[in-house]
Amino acid sequence: MNIEELERQVQLAEDIQEIEHLQRIYGYYFDNNMWAEICDLFSDNAESVEIVDHGVFYGKKGVRRVYWDMFAGGGSRQNPAWMQFIVMQIGGVVHVDPDGKHARGRWQTLLCEAKTYGAYPRQEWLHGYYENKYVKEDGRWRFSLLHWNNTFCSPFEDGWLNLPLMGWMPLPNADAPPTAFHPYPDHLHAVPYHYQHPITGK
Amino acid sequence: MNLEELERQVTYLEDIQEIENLQKMYGYYFDNAMFPEVIDLFSENTESVEITDHGVFRGKAAAVKMYGGMVGMKRPGWMFFEVMQSQGVITVAPDGQTARGRWYTPSFECRPFGGTKKQTWQFGVYDNEYIKENGRWYFKKLHWNLTYWTSYEAGFLKLPRLSDTPFPHADAPATAYHPYPSGYHVPYSFRHPVTGQ
Repeated sequence: MNIEELERQVQLAEDIQEIEHLQRIYGYYFDNNMWAEICDLFSDNAESVEIVDHGVFYGKKGVRRVYWDMFAGGGSRQNPAWMQFIVMQIGGVVHVDPDGKHARGRWQTLLCEAKTYGAYPRQEWLHGYYENKYVKEDGRWRFSLLHWNNTFCSPFEDGWLNLPLMGWMPLPNADAPPTAFHPYPDHLHAVPYHYQHPITGK
Repeated sequence: MNLEELERQVTYLEDIQEIENLQKMYGYYFDNAMFPEVIDLFSENTESVEITDHGVFRGKAAAVKMYGGMVGMKRPGWMFFEVMQSQGVITVAPDGQTARGRWYTPSFECRPFGGTKKQTWQFGVYDNEYIKENGRWYFKKLHWNLTYWTSYEAGFLKLPRLSDTPFPHADAPATAYHPYPSGYHVPYSFRHPVTGQ
């Protein structure tokens, strides 16, 4: 192996590390309602954001619309301290394109939430999968597409078997309806794999 | 550091990355019941597969027998097995051809149980072995050790183990099945990183 090949391989290892951190940092901002910081994790050329059945939000403007206008209430929303959105970023499988500028990642997430539902505070378990895209611009990795698909969103008291989905949550200002929202028990194969089988290549 | 040393170190990092991907992909195939894809992650020279108290299945043919028994099994959509592959610690042998990995797995499932649908929590520890063949990492040995398997409603303190699940066609009984609250800990495949013990 010559020095150029070696340099490429080190670069690839660094890229994967940085992307994994980007994804986990997203989670660590999310649980603290740091929506402005989250918007800044996205490329100015971001393709889209799609979260559960909220719908698809296109472009960086769409990113701001969902995280800032909706989640942050335009900066005016003060969530009470008991409300929580812990989204554990687990099991990242990240592949960087040969050009070293684009990448994709599959993750799964376990969530423990507390939020108002109807008029009442509720505690919930959630599970879901990400299939995300990343782009390297100005030497830094950013999100270019985020898609989180919900497996279930269940009250703590009932569990996913008894009540897999607490309710529908489409957002009125989305650009398009959700593309792949099939919660439990229709969740199998809802999120296609971005990678080929590592041994068979299929 | 000269070029050869650097190359060894880069290969070492890549090996760890590839093994972590292998293990996580196993999880992402398992949750969708893609058992042919799971079987293809195992080396032709597989030593054994041992899952909870199902027993030991020796060799690739036995691994095929164990996972293969689930292939084509008519399974209702509400049945599912979510095994989250978490916190891998991978130790690659100095020769770069074999490795071991310890992982945690919080899991949740739905399955039939005594004529009813049951939702359950599970927790367990993997102590797995991997082998590099033809430039690719494969599973050589998979051992998943159950800590608890409890109903959603009861929890692990009240009901640590829903039942026993030995498979009749295993080659040998389970080697280390001591669920909560036995106090059993799966032996560590790695040495203490600071003291070396």
